[in-house]
Amino acid sequence: MTIFQRFWVFIIGLIMVILALSFITNPDENSYLWVILFLFLGLAIKGVKDIIFYFTMARHMAGGKLILVQGVIVLDFAFLTGSLSDVPKIYVLLYLIAVHAFSGVVEILRAMEARRTVSGPWKLKFSHGIVNFILALSCFVFIRQTSTALIIYSIGLLYSGLMHMGSAFRKTTYVMIN
Amino acid sequence: MQEDFHYYATYCAAYIAGYSHEESLDIAYSAQFVDVCSRTLLAKIKGPSDAATTQLQLELMDARTDRVGLQDITRIWSSFHFLPRDLNAVREKCTKGYRNKYRLICGPNGELVKKTVDLAKDKPVQSVGIAMHVLADTWAHANFAGTPSLVINNTNYLFYELFPEGDGYREQQIRFRHSTSVPDDLENSIYTNSLYQSSENSIMNLGHGRAGHLPDYSFVRYRYLPAWGEYEEIIKDNPRDYINAFTQMIHAMKCIRGVKGPFETETYDMEAIEPWLDRIKGIIGKRQILASDDWKAFGEELSGQSIEDFEIDRYFNEYTSVLKERKDDTFIGKFILGALAHKGMVINEIFKTGNKLAGVVKQNSVTGKTAEDEQQEDVAEQSSVTGKTAEDELKEEAAEQ
Repeated sequence: MTIFQRFWVFIIGLIMVILALSFITNPDENSYLWVILFLFLGLAIKGVKDIIFYFTMARHMAGGKLILVQGVIVLDFAFLTGSLSDVPKIYVLLYLIAVHAFSGVVEILRAMEARRTVSGPWKLKFSHGIVNFILALSCFVFIRQTSTALIIYSIGLLYSGLMHMGSAFRKTTYVMIN
Repeated sequence: MQEDFHYYATYCAAYIAGYSHEESLDIAYSAQFVDVCSRTLLAKIKGPSDAATTQLQLELMDARTDRVGLQDITRIWSSFHFLPRDLNAVREKCTKGYRNKYRLICGPNGELVKKTVDLAKDKPVQSVGIAMHVLADTWAHANFAGTPSLVINNTNYLFYELFPEGDGYREQQIRFRHSTSVPDDLENSIYTNSLYQSSENSIMNLGHGRAGHLPDYSFVRYRYLPAWGEYEEIIKDNPRDYINAFTQMIHAMKCIRGVKGPFETETYDMEAIEPWLDRIKGIIGKRQILASDDWKAFGEELSGQSIEDFEIDRYFNEYTSVLKERKDDTFIGKFILGALAHKGMVINEIFKTGNKLAGVVKQNSVTGKTAEDEQQEDVAEQSSVTGKTAEDELKEEAAEQ
């Protein structure tokens, strides 16, 4: 990473941490809406990126239409998430359980595969998976608490922010080009 | 391609091209060293990381796929393992981003192959070995690009192994799995490949990862649907391609030695292998994961000498024990100079077409010269001042001691 990239990654991480801490310390109705907004934005950006990727690159690829379908589905999912601000919070919790549990299982499986097949670095990925799994479990255990969704999301955000900040200092080797 | 071809077959080709047993061994060692000279290895022997000719799996897992990271990956893999066939390839109605990747698709007999062989002329045997590795890989790795790209390197379920039967072929669908710990099952056409990743720049989409090791096996014939081919299938006939690679290496090395005129593409020295054609075809066509033993036996019969196995650290001690200013005169030092020169040439050629996927050649901050320029000047300087090569000087020094 260049110094600029390190700086940018660190700043993004810092913003995530600040947001997470502000949500945890001042949980109110508006914070919940912010969470929904971030989820909506994240998915919408991913969906739009996929659609742009299809029209700029993947349309030339054998089977590239799948990328378009994926982009449309993710974008649709983003709109669904955006509409959750009008529905009971329990649905948001169910949504968070599904997202975190799925991510956790995938991360743990990938960590195990990396360890088993190429003796690759697996501990960081494994810990990601465990954290995701714990978050999913917490959503399930505290499903009746109204502020659970907000706190769980904030913890996830805090963890991601710290990981981002840490990765800004990660050692990387590359050829500096003129 | 693997050690069997890059080391043992390259030895055979060099010997047939007229090099001595010792020179052939050095060429073969250099050709195989391209597959192991990673940054991790260079850090161990305190060599310049810019000279890396490959990346370990762990290095790749740790590699970033942002712009700078992608350029770094592309420099290594496009230069040494997936030499682009046509940097000016025409592809209508597509974006510049797509076209740039399309132009990095590897293939034999491109202009860059000629430039690679020409660059090795009048250079130490280490440069010849590097050139032979690159040339051979243009045959094996054809139709894949040395940059991570889903839209270029992806493959799908349409993958059939072809078995000669009568006048045609019997087909068997290839099944892929993702477990690298299990060897490929040649009996049942079950091979290991990399996981499908929908991200364009995922490391999983680098080179022929999605086709597994099939391009590395000399015996295999298969048909498949490349991601970039507009739904046109490709039939890959490795036995034919490996014979072409072998005979083109002989032709190239004869040109480098000055026995033949300038190197021309599409030229194969079939005459040179005439006495052993059936033997060579037999080795190439035999269904086995590694053909090292067969190539080794053939090479030993050719030269009547014993071919020592490839030992990665054969020249480490020589390199690490000399003073910094003498490192360029060692075996590894010459390999590093050759690798830098070749890498610089390829990056420069890619950049000259307006394609920035491999970045630009690193200029020497003091002299403003590329590594390639410096190596040429070094060689010229040695011959003009002393009339001796660095190798001669080393030998004299050893004799004095």
